Amino acid sequence: MADLADTSFLGRALRRRTFLRVAGTTAASSALVLAGCGKDSTPTPTNSTSSLNFAGSDNGLLNLAYLLEQLEAAFYQKVVDAFPSDFTAADKAAFVDLRDHEVIHREFLKFALGSNAYDVALTTPLAFNFTAFTLTTRAGVYAAARTLEDVGVGAYNGMGRRIASTQYLQLLAKLASVEARHAAFVRDQAEPNSFAASDVITTSGSLAGLDTVKTPAEVATLIASLVPVVLNTDALMLL
Amino acid sequence: MDFLNLLARLADLDTPTLPAAAPRRTALSQLGKAGTALLPALLTGLALPAAAAAAAPQDTRTRLDALRLALQLELLENEFYSRALGLVTGFSAVPFSATEKTALQTIQRHEAQHVTLFQRLITDAGSALEPAARYDFTGSKNGTQPALYPDIQTNPDTFLQVAQLLEDAGVRAYKGQVEFLQTDAYMLEAALRTHSTEARHASHIRTMRRQRGASVKSWVSPADASITTPGSGAAKVYEGEDNATQYVNIGTILTKVPFDSTLPINVGTPALTAAQILAKVAEAFDEPVNAITATALLQLFTY
Repeated sequence: MADLADTSFLGRALRRRTFLRVAGTTAASSALVLAGCGKDSTPTPTNSTSSLNFAGSDNGLLNLAYLLEQLEAAFYQKVVDAFPSDFTAADKAAFVDLRDHEVIHREFLKFALGSNAYDVALTTPLAFNFTAFTLTTRAGVYAAARTLEDVGVGAYNGMGRRIASTQYLQLLAKLASVEARHAAFVRDQAEPNSFAASDVITTSGSLAGLDTVKTPAEVATLIASLVPVVLNTDALMLL
Repeated sequence: MDFLNLLARLADLDTPTLPAAAPRRTALSQLGKAGTALLPALLTGLALPAAAAAAAPQDTRTRLDALRLALQLELLENEFYSRALGLVTGFSAVPFSATEKTALQTIQRHEAQHVTLFQRLITDAGSALEPAARYDFTGSKNGTQPALYPDIQTNPDTFLQVAQLLEDAGVRAYKGQVEFLQTDAYMLEAALRTHSTEARHASHIRTMRRQRGASVKSWVSPADASITTPGSGAAKVYEGEDNATQYVNIGTILTKVPFDSTLPINVGTPALTAAQILAKVAEAFDEPVNAITATALLQLFTY
């Protein structure tokens, strides 16, 4: 059991190392591309046929994290702008904290990316689509927050092995545990004692007791309906 | 736990150019053997002065060091919750409500699973497990000094206070070790997934305390009512957590992130004061602790 797992993971580790050695020299300059698929040569971010192609590099991973933090910040801002009528004072205070944390994460990643941020040349930021969520009730808001936070935790856990820079690994870990604290909090509010339930923590086998992990492709699928562009994470999957 | 310091020193002897292509099993096995062979030579150095230990380099720890620290942490946490749940002979269960007990059972189960995981990772690599530590969660070191938490086995509030200390410390300890596992994708991912599980535990323990009347957020905040005495050993759990200054390389230049000046993070209405927004920055980043600090925290409850 352990042998099989070890062998396959070892293979992945080596592949990652080999690839990065090559990618490190070439991918650094290949910034994330927001490519319009239509006839218009000017990319139009609100056009649903546009796509975001994440480069197979640390910059690509950081851009995915940046997109997730943008998404979370926009979500919490939307809730804060119009709290559900059954939100308590404690709910409101918590959501202001959550909004502030995600804005801080977003601006931090944007600063770290600098000119490599995917949206550096966009005149209008991506408009996220939260219509799938019910944001007029406390239950609906917490359920939506649970979905977003669990995706965030899984995404950061999946980025660790793909990140080449030790500095970025350390920095992303600083964000990851805060996201996990958020996730546990909103889960407990949605359903008492569900902070680490079996839908996020592996219950059996050799990886029992471990939190959710999502590959970049899985993350892209999970947030596809919320983002107005097609997310292409193929290059990240090679890391 | 001076053995950890010894391992940290032994790590100096580990060649950093260990063949990357060598199977992990072999590589770690070599580390284990090197440690054993060199042990007698270094035994005289066991009683390292604290200053020397503190000066030990932090960038030379091996994967084995990181895994062993994780295992020590998980063993301690598992014993801590098992005693509170009445699962250990000689310790009666701490009186919790049914809902609270359910949560603690969930956490204990995870800690036991983490113990199994790290024991497997260590032994699969051909390394030996260390003898189990002896625990005293009152902090009296088996009655040899005044207890820090004399009613921990009978008072739920005291128990949850220490639970918060341990979970928050655990999150910081894992964060300090992940860099040493970066050469092994499997171990790194296992540690990161354990790290976020511990963060969920920490958040929930904080929520439980808040529900019992404590002034504490589910994330580490400068606004939390302090649960440690300044200068005490336990205070190390939160030392540096109020940090609001981050650095990141821009190109090759290590650059301070301008949270206190140009970044547009103060978006609320009305806007927060400078001190208030920096407190939010501190909340938004959990900080690591190194192995020496983590070990010192474990030592509060071992003898």
